[in-house]
Amino acid sequence: MYWKLPFCPKFSGLAIPILLACIALAHTNALALTSEEITTIAAYEKVAPSVVNITTEICEAEVFFCAVPSMTGSGSGVVFRQDGLIITNSHVVSGAQEIRVVFSDGRRLEAKIITSDPDDDLAMIKVDPGDKPLTAISLGDSDALRVGQKVLAVGNPFGLGQTLTSGVVSMTGRTIKDEGRIFRNLIQTDAPINPGNSGGALINLDGELVGLCTAILSPTGSSIRIGFALPVSRIKAVAPTLVYPWHRLTAWVLAILLAAWLLRRIYRNQWPKYDGQ
Amino acid sequence: MHCTRLLIFGFLVFFLARIPTAVALTEEEKNNIDLYQRVSPGVVNITSTVIEHDFFLNVVPRKGTGSGSIIDPRGYILTNNHVIGDGKLEVTLSDGEKYKARLIGSDPDTDLAVVKIDSPEHSLTVIQMGDSAHLKVGQQAMAIGNPFGLGQTLTTGIVSSVGRTMRAENGTLVEDIIQTDASINPGNSGGPLIDSSGKIIGIATAIFSPTGASIGIGFAIPVNTAKKIVNELIEKGYYSYPFLGATLMNLFPYIAEALRLPVKAGAMVIEATPGGPADKAGIKGGNRKAQIGNNIVIVGGDVIVSVNDEQVQDADSAIREIRKLHPGDKIGLGVVHWDGSSGSVSVTLGEKPRGVRAGQP
Repeated sequence: MYWKLPFCPKFSGLAIPILLACIALAHTNALALTSEEITTIAAYEKVAPSVVNITTEICEAEVFFCAVPSMTGSGSGVVFRQDGLIITNSHVVSGAQEIRVVFSDGRRLEAKIITSDPDDDLAMIKVDPGDKPLTAISLGDSDALRVGQKVLAVGNPFGLGQTLTSGVVSMTGRTIKDEGRIFRNLIQTDAPINPGNSGGALINLDGELVGLCTAILSPTGSSIRIGFALPVSRIKAVAPTLVYPWHRLTAWVLAILLAAWLLRRIYRNQWPKYDGQ
Repeated sequence: MHCTRLLIFGFLVFFLARIPTAVALTEEEKNNIDLYQRVSPGVVNITSTVIEHDFFLNVVPRKGTGSGSIIDPRGYILTNNHVIGDGKLEVTLSDGEKYKARLIGSDPDTDLAVVKIDSPEHSLTVIQMGDSAHLKVGQQAMAIGNPFGLGQTLTTGIVSSVGRTMRAENGTLVEDIIQTDASINPGNSGGPLIDSSGKIIGIATAIFSPTGASIGIGFAIPVNTAKKIVNELIEKGYYSYPFLGATLMNLFPYIAEALRLPVKAGAMVIEATPGGPADKAGIKGGNRKAQIGNNIVIVGGDVIVSVNDEQVQDADSAIREIRKLHPGDKIGLGVVHWDGSSGSVSVTLGEKPRGVRAGQP
C-alpha cells in the first residue's frame, strides 16, 4: 500500500511513518500504565518516605497496684523537617505517654511531643533520626486548590499500615464545629479517610502537601467519603509557634509586660498628653 | 517548504487522530469505558442457594451472591471459596443468561475456587490474567462485581498498598494481598480486580469495615497466587500443599528465655502427627504443659530455626518457607532440641491431607 500525497510528493515515503507514529501516539495509553497512573505513582513514591505511622500508648492510672491495660491509638504524621520534626494532629498524640513512629522503610523511632495545639488540632513531635536524615515533605499551596482537582491521601487507617487513597477536592473553605472548637477553611475530599488517617498527608499530583487529614463526617465512624483536611496554608502560618513553643511564651510575657507598663503609667497618670501644640 | 508542509500535515494527522478522544471524555475515561466494554462480558454473577428448613419444616431457600471471572473458554470460572459455600450454584452472564454451574475445585487455604458452566452455544469472553508481582501503589484498579446482588457494577480506585497479609476463613495466612480503595462490597467477592490494561491483578475477597459496607479499604488475593493453583484445581479438584505433619507455635523471645532455650525465636513443635513426615524423621512434639506469664504453653518439643538454611523467626515464616516447596521434596530443617542441643533433620514432605486445619504445614 502506498499513499500518494497530493501536495508533498517528495516526502510521501516519510509521511506514512509519521502518520503511523501519530496514530500510535494517540492510542498507546491502552497498552501499559496511563499517564494519570504514572503521575499518581510518582506522587506517591515522592511522599511515601515522608509519611509516618504513629502508635501511641496511653497508660492509665494503676488502681490498687493492679496492672491496668494501657490503651493504644494509631495515627499518621508528616515529616516536616529532615532533622526529625514531624507534624500531626494534636488529637493523635494528646495524653500519650509513649509515641512510636514507624517509617515507610520499617524504621521505628521513639518520639516526644514538642507542642500540641488543640485549637488548631496540630501537634509537633520530634524523633532523633541519628545520622540518617529524614525526607521532609514539600509544602504545596492549598489556596490554589480547585474543586474537582485530584488529591491523594496517605495514612495509616485502622493501623493497617501505609495506605494510599485517591479522590478529588469536594469543596474548599469548609467550616466545621467540633466540641466547641471551630475549624475554618478546611478542604473537603472524597478520598477515603478513616480513623488512623488523622495527621496523614493530603497531597496533590505533584507530590506536595496541601492538607493534613483531620476529621471525617460519618454516622458510622468510618469513611463515607466525606473527609476534611486542614489546609497547608494554616500549617505554614502556625508552624513557627509549633516549632519554637517558646515564641508563644515570649509573646505572652511581652504582652503582660506591656500591659503592666501601661497600667503603671495610667496609675501614675503619666499618660503622654497632647497639649495642642 | 516541503518540510513545512510535511510538518503541517503531521500535526493535522496528529490532531485528527486525537479529536474523537478529546470531544467530551478524557483519555482516562475513554480507557475505562473501553476496558469495561471489553472485560465485563467475562464477569459473572454467582448465586449459591442452600435449601434450609425452618422450625415448622417449611422450605426456606437461603441465597448468597458473589461474582466470578471467566478464565477459560471452556467455561471455567474463578471465584472465592466463600462464595460457593455448599449450595446449588447458578451463574448469570452479563447478558442475563443463566446457567447451572458445578464446583470443579476449591482451596480454602487461599479462599479460591473454580466452577464450570457448560454453554456450547455461547462463546464466552475470557479475562486475561495479568501479573501481580510488579504492582505499583497508585496505579489504577477497577473492580467489577455484583455488590449486594444489585447486578453488574464497575467501581474504580487505585492500588492503596501491596504485600498485606490476611487470614483465610480457616485461619491460613494469605500473603501479598492487594489493598485498594475501589469500592468493594458484599457480593463483590470473587470478582476481578483489573488494571488499566484490562488484565486481572487480583480477586476481590475481603473488606475492612466496622459497618459491613465499603469504607474504601478492600482486599484482593493476588492473581499470581491464583495462577499457581488454578490448573491443579481444574485437574484434581484441589491443590496439594506440602505436608510436614507438625503443629507449630511461635516461639517468642520471652518464652525461649523462660524455657532456657539457646535460641531467641523460631517455630516450636507442639505436636507431630503420628506417622507424618516430621514424626518419621524424628522431630518431637511437646509432652507437658508449662505456665509462662499468663499463657499455658505445651513444651518439650523441638524448635525449628531454619528451613533449607533459611532462618525462620516464627511459625508463619516456617510455613511460608515450606509452602514454597512441593510434596515429595526433601528439606533440611535446623532444629534445637529440648535439652539445648541442636542438629539438622532431613524430612521428605508429604501431601497435605485435606481437612487438616490451618497452622499445620
